[in-house]
Amino acid sequence: MLAFDSAVKRFGSVAALDGCTFEARPGRITGFLGPNGAGKTTAMRAVFELVRLDAGSVSWRGAPITGAERARFGYMPEERGLYPRMRIRDQLLYLGELCGRTTRDAGRIAEHWLGRLGLADRAADRLDTLSHGNQQRVQLIAALVNEPELLVLDEPFAGLDPIAMGAMADLLAELAAAGATVLFSSHQLDLVEELCEDVVIIDKGRVVLAGDLTDLRAAVPQRFVDVRYRGRPPDWSRLSAVQVVETKDGYARLRVERDTDLSAVVGAAASSGVVSFAYQPPTLSELFRRAVAA
Amino acid sequence: MTGLRQAWLVARREIRERSRSRSFRAGLIVMLFVVIALIVVPAKLDIGGGPKDVGVTSAVPSALSSAIIAQGGAGGATVRLHRYGDVSTAEEAVRAHDLDVLVVDARRVEWPGRVDEELQAVVTGAIRLVAVQERAAAAGIGPDDLRALMAPVPVENVELGSAAGRSPDDELAAIVITTLLLMAIVIYGNLVLTGVVEEKSSRVVEVLLARMPARVLLAGKIAGIGLLGFAQFVVTAVAALLAALVIDSVDIPAVRAGVLAWAVVWFVLGYALYAMAYGALGSLASRTEDAQSVAGPVGYVLIACYWGAFLTVSANPDGVWARTLSQFPATAPFAMPGRIALGSVAWWEPLLAVTLTLAAIAGLVVIAGRVYTNAILHSGATLHLRDAWHSEGRPSRGIWQDDRRDSGRAATSDRDRRTTARSATGRFGRK
Repeated sequence: MLAFDSAVKRFGSVAALDGCTFEARPGRITGFLGPNGAGKTTAMRAVFELVRLDAGSVSWRGAPITGAERARFGYMPEERGLYPRMRIRDQLLYLGELCGRTTRDAGRIAEHWLGRLGLADRAADRLDTLSHGNQQRVQLIAALVNEPELLVLDEPFAGLDPIAMGAMADLLAELAAAGATVLFSSHQLDLVEELCEDVVIIDKGRVVLAGDLTDLRAAVPQRFVDVRYRGRPPDWSRLSAVQVVETKDGYARLRVERDTDLSAVVGAAASSGVVSFAYQPPTLSELFRRAVAA
Repeated sequence: MTGLRQAWLVARREIRERSRSRSFRAGLIVMLFVVIALIVVPAKLDIGGGPKDVGVTSAVPSALSSAIIAQGGAGGATVRLHRYGDVSTAEEAVRAHDLDVLVVDARRVEWPGRVDEELQAVVTGAIRLVAVQERAAAAGIGPDDLRALMAPVPVENVELGSAAGRSPDDELAAIVITTLLLMAIVIYGNLVLTGVVEEKSSRVVEVLLARMPARVLLAGKIAGIGLLGFAQFVVTAVAALLAALVIDSVDIPAVRAGVLAWAVVWFVLGYALYAMAYGALGSLASRTEDAQSVAGPVGYVLIACYWGAFLTVSANPDGVWARTLSQFPATAPFAMPGRIALGSVAWWEPLLAVTLTLAAIAGLVVIAGRVYTNAILHSGATLHLRDAWHSEGRPSRGIWQDDRRDSGRAATSDRDRRTTARSATGRFGRK
């Protein structure tokens, strides 16, 4: 388990991390969210001691992180970068060996991922001969070449096309299923909602919301009702416990309290020729907006 | 995973990748070619050695001609004699440089240009010998008596340096060693500089620093480039030596083994010291174009230290200034090997200087490591040294601006980021 405990990091007068506390658990994917400048990159860099914390700590399995443990972490920085003129296979071997892997071991892992991501025949090519998308794939392999127990990815989905995004999501799910701790930052909330068991939302260097996504959504006292109908729009304003979030042709999104009796809503929907009716906790986007606006 | 092993991996990568590059191989071939040419070409062009073409007119008696050949042989030069019937034809040959010299008669010798002093000694020696033989015969001295009179007097030639206990070879060694060290630092120090800036501008450095401390990365890089540079030097030196031996044209100065060993030590120390400074300052620049201006100060210090050491040591290697500069870490790599070559150091002096320089390198490792770590994650405008010392690079904003003027690759991800940012902060709940 990766744990941040009251981590503080200041750059001059700006606090990038201001008492940041959260955990990322093994076997689960943790989405790390927050507006730009919230401190996500600084926090991720702190795991690798790329920034030194002014106060607080980052620990792994309950103990301060040492170089030996860091050698079993994988990292993909927000600013992608490898040696442009170095051959792909050599590059991956080098990074694997820097993590204490033998050449053979690193070679085996590199072959596996190169094959898996469709780059097996490019292994002897220079990195700068590859397309942008393929360079991104190599960057990902660079983070995986030591079979990491903890994978820290800073905006892994940025710049990927929808197909590559899907492949990346599958891959992260697979790694987590195999027992790895996966922490990644992203602005694509729908994707995070689909992929992550846990989320951490950070704003101005502090964690404003963290935990199991299902629990977090369930814990919010409001529920949302999505209604699609064929007939005339019902007059929702007549219903006392209902707030209209959004309406458009044949669709309405309503907010109610968790314990509101829905029979009046159902009745109104039925009278308008209902097509679909959904009763749900808030989406991650709504959680995010509430948490960051607070 | 120890730092030492990681440093070795970094060094090995430098050696492999650089020796594989076309520019390195081409550079080595050009250097070998130039060095061998410098040795072989002058020898082939008959500068100094080689047979001499000496013209003689009919006015020159055969005794003198054979004396010229004999004198030339005694002096180690082969003389080819050419006879001419009339002076004007012979002079034509001189003007066409077919002859190195024309002996018109025992009173007149003609040259194609400036007087070749070695050949002049041969010719005038022969003329004098023949004249003496004639005068001796006139005075009634027989050939045997003359030979006894002319018996060579053994003279010992000693080449004195400018001070006692020092030879010109020592002085030459001192100059060559310090100048080669300066060249090595300039060439390989700059490779360290550009290497650091390239890693920073390609952003691979963040991946690397997540794996090892900056001082390990920097030390490994310096060691790798240094080893490669040393190999390049050795290959070139061996080629030069072989060429010189094969051609047998150049006098190889006798350098004492101790002087050579110390020279190697100071090469390593001097290079390590200055390369560390180059690496630390290189980390302040974000783009290759800024590298040179950022490293300027190291260059100025380097040249000043070289000249300071050179001038003081050559003026008086035992003087207070020379002794001081040979202890001061920045000047010691230049001053100390010079003084050692000149044989003017007490036994403890180099040891103290090595200790001081090692301490300075250790201090520089700490400083360079800190500046490097703090500066390397900073992108955008060139950092000031003071800022790099005090705080590390802060992510976001600056990075965006830097991305935009970079490349299409960066621009794409930038655009993506802006789109995702909009969907994150704009209207929600359209699912």
